Amino acid sequence: MLYQNCPASLVRVTAFSLAALILMVVVASFPFLEMDAASLRTELSLTSASRALIHEGSPILGIALALFTIIAPIVISTGLIYVCAPLFLNRAAPGARTVAKWLSRSEPWNMVEVFLLGVLVSLLKLAKVADVHFGVGFWAFALLMICMAAAMAAIDQHELWDRLEVANR
Amino acid sequence: MRNVVIANSRGIDRGLASCHSCGKVSPVTLGRCPRCGSHLHLRKPQSVARTVAFMIGAVAFYIPANLLPVMTITELGIADASTITEGMVTFWKSGAYPIALVIFTASILIPFLKIIALTWLCLAATGKVPCSPAGLSRIYWFTELMGRWSMIDIFVVGILVALVQLGNYMTIVPELGAVAFAFVVILTMFAAMCFDPRLLWDQVESKFAQEAPMPMTPQTPSTL
Repeated sequence: MLYQNCPASLVRVTAFSLAALILMVVVASFPFLEMDAASLRTELSLTSASRALIHEGSPILGIALALFTIIAPIVISTGLIYVCAPLFLNRAAPGARTVAKWLSRSEPWNMVEVFLLGVLVSLLKLAKVADVHFGVGFWAFALLMICMAAAMAAIDQHELWDRLEVANR
Repeated sequence: MRNVVIANSRGIDRGLASCHSCGKVSPVTLGRCPRCGSHLHLRKPQSVARTVAFMIGAVAFYIPANLLPVMTITELGIADASTITEGMVTFWKSGAYPIALVIFTASILIPFLKIIALTWLCLAATGKVPCSPAGLSRIYWFTELMGRWSMIDIFVVGILVALVQLGNYMTIVPELGAVAFAFVVILTMFAAMCFDPRLLWDQVESKFAQEAPMPMTPQTPSTL
């Protein structure tokens, strides 16, 4: 099949990015995993993994983890809304082209789905020694992953750049 | 006849560059893309050299990443440091074959295959090994796509360190092997980004040109 425009590209990118951002708030407010072991309860939240790594002597890993699983999805979905939403009015936000340029470069560093698989592997690893169960944060993060993937898939590079080129500044 | 058509039909022959960021085709003499402002290059600059440089870094980190422990589990005062391979073997022995396979694929197989694949791509792009661009392009695409999944072990270490802080009963701390492994993944991702798969097609073009020299000298476009 030859190339064809992605239908309703702008609407879908904006809607899914907005959904991802809202879900990020939910993800940040609820734990991913809760673990009961030795009469102690510990929780895994969005930031606790990177905070623990920084605290336990691996700041590089902590920063990398925060970059790939928290900052990248927030920056990408915010950036997509910033670029796409004004295009509905046939306008380009200030610096929209620069933002769009950096968005395509930062895409590989968004590792939300890898982190989710990591949570699953950790759960199975801990299942023997403790009672571990999913929190709301995990399910919200899974939805966020789907929204991010849908937003990325809806981007039509050709249409987006054509629109940015003709948009009023 | 075929060679005549081929030799003049590429952007590089006409001095036309496709922007790395937005894909707009412009004369390379403009320097910067008129649409998004990125620097214009006919091919990614020093593609093979940069890829090789990142790969050498990745190989250097690959050795400590596999030899050093990624985390130390202290259970009831007894410390036990485990490497990536040991973690996988533990899963396998406990009968968790699917997870053992996921860890094996993501942490051992993918980084290894990625280094082999990028080496092969660099050799093919410089004409040192025979090259079939269609197949190799697919290998490149796969390399770019799969690389990030190797981060899973680093994330697992982070999650375990965060969750398992149970005082005297059990604690987990990250070790240097995890840092080295993260560098392997990040460096191979950069290596893959620096590689320009169009170099593979250039090899085919130059082979055509060698086999049957042009009947006429092609006109040099004024834009070059």
